[in-house]
This record gives sequence, C-alpha cells and structure tokens, in this order.
Amino acid sequence: MKSLFNILVVSLLLALSSAYATPEQDKETFQNFYTEMFPDISLEGFGDGVYALDQDARDQWEAMNDFPPYEEDLEEGEELFNTPFSNGKTYANCFENDGKNIRQNYPLFDTKQNKVITLELAINNCRESNGEELLRYKKGEIAKLSAYMTYTSKDSLINVKTPDSKEALAAYEAGKQYYYSKRGQLNFSCANCHTQNAGRRARSETLSPALGHPTHFPVYRMKWAGFGTLQRRIDSCNKQVRAQPLSGQSEDYRNLEYFLTYMSNGLPINGPASRK
Amino acid sequence: MKIKTILLPLLLTLICSTAYAQTSSEAEQAIQSADKLWAATITAGHEWNTIKPLVAQAKQALKTNDFSAAITLANRASEQSVLALIQAEHEKTNWVNNLPK
Ligand code: HEC
Repeated sequence: MKSLFNILVVSLLLALSSAYATPEQDKETFQNFYTEMFPDISLEGFGDGVYALDQDARDQWEAMNDFPPYEEDLEEGEELFNTPFSNGKTYANCFENDGKNIRQNYPLFDTKQNKVITLELAINNCRESNGEELLRYKKGEIAKLSAYMTYTSKDSLINVKTPDSKEALAAYEAGKQYYYSKRGQLNFSCANCHTQNAGRRARSETLSPALGHPTHFPVYRMKWAGFGTLQRRIDSCNKQVRAQPLSGQSEDYRNLEYFLTYMSNGLPINGPASRK
Repeated sequence: MKIKTILLPLLLTLICSTAYAQTSSEAEQAIQSADKLWAATITAGHEWNTIKPLVAQAKQALKTNDFSAAITLANRASEQSVLALIQAEHEKTNWVNNLPK
C-alpha cells in the first residue's frame, strides 16, 4: 500500500513538473519525444508530415508536386500582396522586411495588446489600419496571401518567442492545455492522435507527428481544392472528434497555434505544401 | 466535483420529466434548459458539435407543435451538454496525463 502511494506521489510530481516546465524545456521534451520515436527522420524531415513516415504515400505526393496543384493560387497570393490599398499603401508597409521572409516569426506575442498575433491576424490588422475591409479567416484570399508570405520565408527556421511577460506565458500555457485536453464527444486530445499515436493508423490514415505541423501552412488540400490556414485544418480535426470548431482567430485557436508553433522552433519553413 | 452535484440532479429531473411533459410550455422549458447548458459548454471551451443540431431540431419540432419530440430532442441535447461540462471539469486537472514523458 505504501509503495503504491509512493508511486502515485512520484508520478503526480512528474506530471506536475512537466505541466509547469518552461516553454524551452517543453520544446526539448517535445522534440526529443519524436526524434526518439522516429530515429530515422531528421528534424527538418518532420515538416513533411505523414510523407516522412509512409514511403508509398510519399512517392505519390512527390509525383503530384512535379506540377504543384497550388501554383495558381500562390500566384494570386503574390498579386494580392502587391496590389496597393485604396490609400496607395501595400501590405509591405505594415510588416518588417517588407513582409518578406517573416513567416517564421509568427505567431508573435504583442506585449502592448497582450495577445497572440498570428500572421493571418496581422494581415487583417494591416488592412484595418489602412481602411480596408477585413478578410474572412481560414480560406480564400487570406489563405492565398498567407501562402505567398510562407513562400517568401522558405528555409527560414521557425523562431517563435515567449517574451518575458506574465501574459505571454499565460497564452502559451493556455495553448498547451488546449493541445493536451480531451474534447468532443469522442473524447480525444490532439496529443492522443498526433503525439501518443503518431505513425499509427486511424481508419485509413496515418497520423502525422505534431512536430512539424506548422512548417508548411497554409496547405493546399485536394479535399478543399484550395488553400486553408492551420486553423482551418484544426477545424477538420475537431470535427473528427465531434468537437465544435472555433471561429477563426479566436483566442483559444491563437493560443493553440502559438504553443504548437513554439514546439516546432528550429524547423525550417517548407510551405506552402499540398496534402490529400 | 461541485459541477457534478449541480448537474446530475438536473439531468435526472430532465429525464424523469419526459414521460409526462407534453405541453407547449414544458417543451419551451426543456429547450430553455438545453440552451443554457449548451451555452455553458461554450463558455467552458468544450462545446461538442453534436449539441447544436439537436437544439435546432428541438426548436423545429416545437414550431410544428410536436411537443414530445421537442422535449426528447432538447433533453438529449442537455444530456450531451452535461457530459461535455463533466469533460471540461475533468480536463482542468487531467490534461497533464497526456504530456509526453
Ligand atoms: C482522432 C485523431 C485526431 C485528433 C484527435 C486530431 N487530429 Fe489532427 N489529424 C488527424 C488525421 C487523420 C490527419 C490527416 C493525416 C495527418 O496528416 O496526420 C490530421 C492532420 C492534422 C494536421 C495537418 C498535418 C499536415 O501535415 O498537413 C494538423 C496541423 C493537425 N492534424 C492538428 C491537430 C490538432 C491541433 C489537433 C487538436 C485540436 C488535432 N489535430 C486532433 C487526426 C487527428
């Protein structure tokens, strides 16, 4: 009885210690978990999702990418990006480095507004400050613009930061809790599929590791016949477990994206990408 | 734990009342409770996508004066909301069990 109690106390302490680890410690644990689980995959290889695990699927995917299905939408994204607003300014005026090669820094935590700013939110903030109508989130124009901005960031290493602020840490922790919490009628957490069961099959699909998830978004999905943002993809997963998807750029989704992207710090941007 | 002591009796009353309640006002009441519990799951960040359609169907049934169907559907929605709220409560502490070790 006593030893059982000791085991319980020790495992509780262990659980608590990882619950209260710093983001940097979390990232180490997270990345080590996957690199130990898949010793043959290089760190950057995780950016290819299931295609890093399944050679047959990879062969088909590579054949498809000889003529990427997103080419046209990507060009449209570039055009949108360069089209001036009615006041003559452009997206380039809103961003560092004229908006080129910056995807790897998003989401960032804005210590003035005390909130997580994803790239898509920043795009709409830019429009708002220039007197333009806001774009709908998750797909359409915003996904094309975002895809172009991802494209100009190719090979840059994800570098999401948690500034030294209570609020930034709270946002990060909230995203972390979202990722590990079971939800929906089927009672699954993201981690149940993309951490504990990464590489296994669920119905007809191989489950990708969560490490590398944010490197290649927006993704052009054949099923969508268009680009979708990371949050749109998360909607699909929420529906799979019969949880109600959240609205685009809701606080919970932004915090989740913040956590998830932090976990992939150091991996190169390799998007936009195509998926089934 | 507190949430269970509030919600479970409520759930039981809902289930017990179905056999007798067939009137319009009872259907309205069942829908009101369903709406409230549904809203609580949203606040808790654990809304299931199965709840909204049930509430919508219950409201539709009320419109066509099918009170017993309205009550059955509203109660089913309420049951699911209660489970979603229990899930939310449970995950407040248990999410740490999913952390990679
Ligand atoms: C029931 C299992 C399941 C759960 C739970 C789940 N997913 Fe998924 N997810 C899938 C499947 C299946 C796919 C498609 C195959 C793949 O890429 O893993 C997928 C794909 C993805 C992708 C796209 C991967 C890529 O390379 O393009 C992302 C991102 C993702 N999930 C994030 C999440 C997040 C965040 C959560 C929690 C909110 C979550 N998933 C919950 C099963 C799940």
